[in-house]
Amino acid sequence: MTAQLPGQPPELPGGMPSPRGVALVTGAASGIGAAVAQELRSPGWRVAGFDLRPSACDLPLTGDVTDSAAVTAAVARVTAELGPVGALVTAAGYYEMIPFEQLTPEGWQRMLRVHLGGLVTAVRAVLPGMLELGAGRIVAVSSELAIGGGDGDAHYAAAKGAIIGLVRSLAAEVAGSGVLVNSVAPGPTDTPLLDPDSPWRAPEYLATLPVRRLAWPAEIAAAVRFVLEEGSFLVGEVVSVNSGAVI
Amino acid sequence: MTSGLPERREVALVTGAAQGIGAAIARRLAARGALVALNDIAPRPELDELAAELGGITAPADVSDRGQVLAMLAAIEQAAGPLSTLVCNAAYMTMSPLLEHPEADWWKVVDTNLTGTFHLIQAALPGMRSRGGGRVIVVTSYWGVTGWPDATAYAASKAGLIALVKTLGRELAPDVIVNGIAPGVTATPQLEVDAASAGVSVAEVQKRYARGVPLGRIGQPAEIAAAVAFLADPAVGAMTGQVLQVNGGEIRCRA
Repeated sequence: MTAQLPGQPPELPGGMPSPRGVALVTGAASGIGAAVAQELRSPGWRVAGFDLRPSACDLPLTGDVTDSAAVTAAVARVTAELGPVGALVTAAGYYEMIPFEQLTPEGWQRMLRVHLGGLVTAVRAVLPGMLELGAGRIVAVSSELAIGGGDGDAHYAAAKGAIIGLVRSLAAEVAGSGVLVNSVAPGPTDTPLLDPDSPWRAPEYLATLPVRRLAWPAEIAAAVRFVLEEGSFLVGEVVSVNSGAVI
Repeated sequence: MTSGLPERREVALVTGAAQGIGAAIARRLAARGALVALNDIAPRPELDELAAELGGITAPADVSDRGQVLAMLAAIEQAAGPLSTLVCNAAYMTMSPLLEHPEADWWKVVDTNLTGTFHLIQAALPGMRSRGGGRVIVVTSYWGVTGWPDATAYAASKAGLIALVKTLGRELAPDVIVNGIAPGVTATPQLEVDAASAGVSVAEVQKRYARGVPLGRIGQPAEIAAAVAFLADPAVGAMTGQVLQVNGGEIRCRA
């Protein structure tokens, strides 16, 4: 290919992708976010992490994704110290199972604020710069539970499902401006989000999965990297790495 | 990292590899070290040239002919060993209003696209299992998701492939992993056919197709090939029975 196509990073001679730019990863201190930070650093992305706790990356920043002022300040710092954010990966989140009738308004609200709100604050902070550059990649980590639902997961599934709705809509809105928005929807993954006694770790449950095991954080990270680096024709797509939990 | 696949050279069969998306997939898999067997319906100079360029082998066969498919797999296994990766990409398409579609041609579409994939997977499975597992990637189509006027046979065959992927994604895991890709309109020689039948230039056809795509352009074969390479990545084994829609955002339907 010679001409540069919308959504595609400029290529160097020999068809190699251009040098990786700056990636901001929320929830980078543990689990999938940490795996993404690690996966992106090795091929040369400069990675800023944003989490409640410091993360292992080029620029570890701490704060709460529900605090839009903190997120905006973090993006300003990333831009000043590493350069403009070319890729945003939102992995910040938490998981809990609560029967619907026992859900409190506060528990419901917090779930939506962290997952959906955390995506919105980060997108609002990075999107103007991406639109100005006419290039950018956003990958929101959603969940297989958003598609398949789950017993005791109403608030989590609703929050993650809202992420998918936002991703598809924003994707259609900004694709023509060179900003590609997609999602990766992990199934149950071997991270600290799943307690040691979580039903998702039970051998009886794992035996029902076509792949017979939890997904590994590195596999989710590989999917995120694929979307960031080679998903130049992916728009509003949800990549389901879920051990076959939802097909 | 650990994976289900042994540390052996990847042997990949790509059907419909003489041009377009299949050729791009063959290039991509060869570039990362796979020995690629390139299939097309009959021997063609383009197939020989690409095989020579990629250090691969040619494997001509009509995928709708079970005998030819079995003979092809036997020849590949003899020359290169069992497959680690099977990419079912060969396809045949006819556009026709339903009532005017001749029955024989309807079955040619289904026999090539759907039953051909059935033959290929059945023929490849014993070899794949003998090496501890493998990957099957089926190239379906976004018309198999949405349906399309005057493409009943093609859309039905491609929708059938989606159901095949979902079923085998469950049935063959965890050793053999099956996924699909549903490309949107892609810049292949098919556009020349479309341009000729519409009586316009290829550039005009590209422009028309791009109108419905949020990204504002149609896809490139290399972009489909990149998705195939991801699905064939031995390091990612937790994705099965899924259909990646690589289409620039064109459709809002789910596979």
